[in-house]
Amino acid sequence: MTRMRHAIVPPYLLARIAAVADERYPIAADAARRSLVRDAPVREWRLRGELPPFAHDRLPSVLPDAPSSPDRRISDAQGSETLPGRLVRREGQPATGDDAVDEAYDGLGDTHRMFDRVFGRDSIDGTGMPLEATVHYGDRYDNAFWDGERMVFGDGDGEIFSGFTNSISVIGHELAHGVTERTANLRYQGQSGALNEHVSDVFGALVEQYTLGQDAGAATWLIGEGIFTDAVEGRALRSMLEPGTAYDDDVLGRDPQPAHYDDYIQTREDNGGVHLNSGIPNRAFALAATALGGFAWEHMGRIWYATLTSGRLAVDTGFHRFAGETVRAASERFGADSRETRAVREAWAAVGVAPEEV
Amino acid sequence: MDVSVSRSGGIGGLRLVWEVDLDREPDRESWEVLLHDIPWDEVPPAPPEPDRFIYRIRCEPHEATLAERQVTGPWRELVDRVRARSEPRRAASGPRRAR
Repeated sequence: MTRMRHAIVPPYLLARIAAVADERYPIAADAARRSLVRDAPVREWRLRGELPPFAHDRLPSVLPDAPSSPDRRISDAQGSETLPGRLVRREGQPATGDDAVDEAYDGLGDTHRMFDRVFGRDSIDGTGMPLEATVHYGDRYDNAFWDGERMVFGDGDGEIFSGFTNSISVIGHELAHGVTERTANLRYQGQSGALNEHVSDVFGALVEQYTLGQDAGAATWLIGEGIFTDAVEGRALRSMLEPGTAYDDDVLGRDPQPAHYDDYIQTREDNGGVHLNSGIPNRAFALAATALGGFAWEHMGRIWYATLTSGRLAVDTGFHRFAGETVRAASERFGADSRETRAVREAWAAVGVAPEEV
Repeated sequence: MDVSVSRSGGIGGLRLVWEVDLDREPDRESWEVLLHDIPWDEVPPAPPEPDRFIYRIRCEPHEATLAERQVTGPWRELVDRVRARSEPRRAASGPRRAR
């Protein structure tokens, strides 16, 4: 990640939140603490009028908050397409020096921590299942995927994609596919497939925000920032807030995601355009989150997680039913007349999806 | 005679199309041997997997759609060969929308 982070919350406020908010807002306190730890050296350099002497803003390896207990296993396919590859880093083992291995390890840890600490879910299955990943998959392989057992990451071709582990949102996206498979199991075709993709983008973005301590206003709402090479005219694979604007490049063309239900794309490709039409619910989520402000995982994240795990979603759920279930989940958690529920309703209206009564 | 390979899906949902005009290939015979081995009508349906590629392979009058993990044996040989012989064209997955 090469982007400079915008510190929107002043340090004194972070310190105050970290100190006093513990009882009522344990997660806000936690986020404030991690933000303080992360930003401290940056602030010192900034005071001295210098740029920090690092190109990549990684988290410190030790955080003051209580960690979750993931069981990570990172394997190396060494350029082959054979899975799982050679096991190169197990839980608790030190960094290997191989960026892809260590980024996957860290990203899975961040994702596990958010699911565990925010949503009370221990790993993909909720009962501590090992998080397995394979890196260096294939030859110049331009993809990352979830195969039902593990997350798999290619190195990219070096011309358009520079690798897939250097974006926390991509790692969170893949792990979330595992969570969806174990919960609502949305069929990966058409509208339910686009919702499956949407849910992965939601939790991918939230992991990034949680890890960086970003509130909804400071967040980029980009998926896959940093995975394009510098040659590409683009910021990321997708923008949740402004679908269709993530890239506009001579070679790649323009980001084709629709942002409104009127522009829903019917196609035979991509399982019925699951990576395209996800733009519509993505925008609804980001609109509601930014309208509410604050940490998105605290309100919108909880509503979406409750929806996903409610047991009320059929495998072939479409947009309107899903929207109705999010309104229901928001009402149950925050009240039917709460600003959270209103924000959810207004966001669906803004993308042209009328929530079904459920 | 053309052979085309269209790859869609992937985490980016980016579609690529490779095409080879066999009439312009110096070793047309070896292409025909390879194409003869392709089991066009024996591709079982496969459940879609999140973010994996989907291949649509065409050579008139044949067409087959394969999940990434089904692209093995002669299919893999054909796909690799088409990719090696042509530059990919990036194609929209759906109709272009006016803005």
